[in-house]
Amino acid sequence: MDIIFSVILAVFCIYCFFLVGAESPAATPTELGAAFWPRIILVMMIFLLAVNIVNNLKAQKENKSSIMGELNLGEFLKSKLLVGIILVAVMALLMSTIGFMPDCLLFLIAYGFLLGERRIPLLVIRSLAITVVLYVIFQGALDIMLARGVGPFREFALFFEMLLPF
Amino acid sequence: MFSTLFTGLKIVLTPSTFLLITAGTILGVIFGAMPGVSASMAVALALPFAYAMNPVIAIAFLVAVYCASITGGGITAILFRIPGTPSSAPTTFDGYPMAQRGEAGKALGFSLVASAVGGLIAAFAMALISPQLSAVALKFGPSELFAVSFLGLSVLSCLDSGNIVKTLISGLLGLFLACVGMDPMLGIARFTWGNSTLLSGIEMIPVMIGLFAVTEVLKQTVKQKKIDGANESDNTSKMKTVLPSFAELWETKIPMLRASVLGTVVGILPGAGATIASFLSYAIEKKVSKHPEKLGTGIPDGIVVSEAANNAATGGSMVPLLSLGIPGGNAAAIMMTALVIKGVQIGPMLIKTQPEYLASVFGSMLLTNIVMVIVAMGVAKVFAKILAVPYSVLGPVIVMLAAIGAYALNNNTGDVVLMAGAGIIGYMFVKLGYNSAALVLGLVLGQMCESNFRRAYTLTNGSLVQIFTKPITAVIMTACVIMLVYPFVKPFISKKKEA
Repeated sequence: MDIIFSVILAVFCIYCFFLVGAESPAATPTELGAAFWPRIILVMMIFLLAVNIVNNLKAQKENKSSIMGELNLGEFLKSKLLVGIILVAVMALLMSTIGFMPDCLLFLIAYGFLLGERRIPLLVIRSLAITVVLYVIFQGALDIMLARGVGPFREFALFFEMLLPF
Repeated sequence: MFSTLFTGLKIVLTPSTFLLITAGTILGVIFGAMPGVSASMAVALALPFAYAMNPVIAIAFLVAVYCASITGGGITAILFRIPGTPSSAPTTFDGYPMAQRGEAGKALGFSLVASAVGGLIAAFAMALISPQLSAVALKFGPSELFAVSFLGLSVLSCLDSGNIVKTLISGLLGLFLACVGMDPMLGIARFTWGNSTLLSGIEMIPVMIGLFAVTEVLKQTVKQKKIDGANESDNTSKMKTVLPSFAELWETKIPMLRASVLGTVVGILPGAGATIASFLSYAIEKKVSKHPEKLGTGIPDGIVVSEAANNAATGGSMVPLLSLGIPGGNAAAIMMTALVIKGVQIGPMLIKTQPEYLASVFGSMLLTNIVMVIVAMGVAKVFAKILAVPYSVLGPVIVMLAAIGAYALNNNTGDVVLMAGAGIIGYMFVKLGYNSAALVLGLVLGQMCESNFRRAYTLTNGSLVQIFTKPITAVIMTACVIMLVYPFVKPFISKKKEA
């Protein structure tokens, strides 16, 4: 896995090396230019990634394992980890559309279920209570504006904001 | 000095001021412990209260909020691996492993005492040698600031001695991420691919929260034994914040003093601040410690250096504000605004014409750093009770707190996506043996390093010799080279000694 990650990162670094050079104006005698610093970093990264790939290949040769040896794709696809990753990603992506309150409620229920809570009514009530507490603390008491969402979700958020005593 | 001390104590020990400072300390600790509420945000939130106060008392109140919020950030860093403020991120490296071992109370105790010591040392430094410190700070131009940030980066070579290559790659990745957005000198977009969100760069706070908090929740999700939530309940429900014994504290005296002095100096430097102070302090401890391999595994030294440095930086940041009228950081800038609104003339003459401001800040820092220990112990106790909650509740709540923290930064859901992405990549990073701390270190110091180097290059008309032969720069860079080379030379020296 590490070899695959290193190769992808190295290819990306090479692409960025040429990209930053093409986008930035040339350096002058008194100004190093926008490409100078990133290019130094990228060159060092490419070198170290190459070292890492060689180290990994050497280790594999010694252990007689393959590049994909450690990765069990079937197991990963069925794992709680993948579901967890998807839930976190969906929560982050949905926040701008549905707003904080529905997003938080749905995430707490879904992740709580993933973590083994099977008492659904309790899970829903608990998630609802936590959502309200977080909303009142941050949106109300601390005056930190939370995401409202769009369309009906925005109307819903505005309605709740009106109810806040702060 | 004594007149400052007496005037300061006279101001802060007035019953009404004492109560206000205590209230400010409570507010600060609570704000600081909340992810996403940074120290400067805590001061901004407390600003409306200060408008109604006399300016001398207002600055004392705001200083109390500022100092206490930095300390509060350490509570969640230790208990949940969520740095309440960015400057508490290095506290997670040793604080969280200690909490995982059931020593959360002790870790909190070390954190609070170190915070108080750091804050007190900075307060005395401020009162004693404020003009001299400001004069030193003015000698730090771009080349010196580059050297300071490079000193922080030099620790990458020994952050994880078990895998130097991967640690260096992680650090470089952090430095690369710091390049995304507008170029600091020419204003040219770099690595934005036409995306306007990326123009402002990759924010440090969402990445940090994601890498620490979300990654941790994903790790716990995989661990089946944690899911029922019963495992931690027994330990944490009875958890007490235990102040370390004198003997235990004595053992950490050198790192604590070193971090306090370093934090004060870094706090004075413009553009540095508490976050860089704590990272730099941790980095230097890793270099000079007698047992560097233990740092990161959950030892008090790691907590002490981070917390002493970030609290000392709060005192340091007040030095240029009071003696020169230049704010040392965001929080100091907000305090300056409050004073300006009140009609106070901020500038180099403030200390001479109105010494009560320095006395008030000094008195407030003394009082806050003492009251803070008691207040933070109470707050930590409440937060520790949360640890007893089953993980099926706590895990998702940690992710949502992280999301709020990321969103609150710019009121931008793009930062929540960044936080989630950082968490997911962070998990992969940990699994593949890369170093999240090195990535964060690179991200924190990246822009400071680049912008100051390029500024120095322009100021010296492109002469690298002039940059590196400036006395302060030369001394710091020599230290950097020694630190960078030492881990590679060390095995040869040991072999020679054995032979």
